Amino acid sequence: MKSLALISVVITGWLLLSAVGDFPYWGDPNSPANSYRLSQHFVTETFHETAVPNMVTAVLADYRGYDTMFETVVIFTAGIAIISILRVFRSDDQVASGQTVYEKRPDLIVDTTCRLMIPIIQLFALYVIAHGHHSPGGGFQGGVIFGASFILIALSRDLQAAHKWVPENRVLNLAGIGILIYAGFGLVAMFLGQNFLDYAILHKVMPATPIEARYHSMLGVEIGVAFTVTAIMYSIYSNLVSKGTMKEGL
Amino acid sequence: MIINTVCIVLVLLGIIFFVGGAVGIVRFPDFYTRMHAAGKGDTMSVFMVLVGLAVYQLSDFTLANLLIAGKILFITIFIMWASPTSTHALIKAGLEEGQKVWTRNDKKETEDEQ
Repeated sequence: MKSLALISVVITGWLLLSAVGDFPYWGDPNSPANSYRLSQHFVTETFHETAVPNMVTAVLADYRGYDTMFETVVIFTAGIAIISILRVFRSDDQVASGQTVYEKRPDLIVDTTCRLMIPIIQLFALYVIAHGHHSPGGGFQGGVIFGASFILIALSRDLQAAHKWVPENRVLNLAGIGILIYAGFGLVAMFLGQNFLDYAILHKVMPATPIEARYHSMLGVEIGVAFTVTAIMYSIYSNLVSKGTMKEGL
Repeated sequence: MIINTVCIVLVLLGIIFFVGGAVGIVRFPDFYTRMHAAGKGDTMSVFMVLVGLAVYQLSDFTLANLLIAGKILFITIFIMWASPTSTHALIKAGLEEGQKVWTRNDKKETEDEQ
C-alpha cells in the first residue's frame, strides 16, 4: 500500500515537474502573458486612465470590477451558508439576548493588551482599505484585519462582549450593505447611461474629472468589499466557536 | 561602516536568542518552561533583529528610509506587546487545563528511568 502511494506521488511529481519545463522563463518579454496587448495596455495605460499608481487595484476594482463584485458575493454566500448550517435557535434566545453575562472576569494582562491593540488594529485596517490605491492592500485584506479585531475582542473577553459592538443582525446588515454599495456604484453608472460598473461616467454626480471619478469609485467599492468581508469574517468565527448558539465562545 | 557593524551585531545577537529559544523548546522538560523559552526567544530575538534592520535602513539617511525605520519600530513595539501576552494567555490556559508543573521529583524519576 505504501509503495503504491509512493509510486503515485512520484508519477504526479514527475508530471508536475515536466510541466514546469514548458513554462516561459521568469520575466520573459516574449511570453504570452507579457506579449499580449491587454497586459501591455494595463502596464502602460493604467495610470493615465485611472490615476491609480497600484495597477493591481485598478485591474481588480475597475477593469474586472464585475468579477470582484461576485467574489464579494461568494464571500457573502459562504457566510450565509455557514449560518444556515450551524446556527441553532432556541426558545430562551429572547431572554438571554438582552443581557451580557460574564461567566469569569477577563484576564487583566490579556484584557489590557487587547485594549491597547484593538484600536491600532482597526486604524491599520482602515489604512489598508484606503491605501489600496498606492500600496498592497484593499478591501479584502483590510476587511479581514478589521474582522480580526472583533475576533480579538471575542477571544480576549467573551463572545457576548463582542456582540455588544457587533450584534448578529447588525453583522448581517453590514454584509448585505457592502454588496449593495458595490452594486450601487454599478447601478448609478447604468442610470447615467453607461455600462454596469463603468465608473468614468460617475463624474456627473461627483465633483471630479472622469479619471478622478474612476479613482474615487474604486475607493468606494473597496469600502463595500471591506464591509462584507469584515462582517462575514466575524460571523463565521462566532458561529463556529459557539457551535451556532451565539451564547459563549472559547 | 559603524552602522553596518551595529546592525550585524544586533542581528547576530537576535539569531543567538532565536537558537536559544528553539533549543529550549526542544530540551526543557514541561509545558511551562518550554513556553518560557519560546516567549523569551520570540520577544527578544525578533526585537533585536528588527532593530538591527531599522538601523540598517538608516545607513542611507533620507526621509523615506527614516519612515521605513519607523514602520519597523512600530512592528517591534507591536510584537513586544503581543508576544508576551500570548505566552501569558497560553500558560494560563495550560494552568486551567491542568498541565503538571515539573518538580525535582520528576527529575529524579527521569534519571532513574535512564
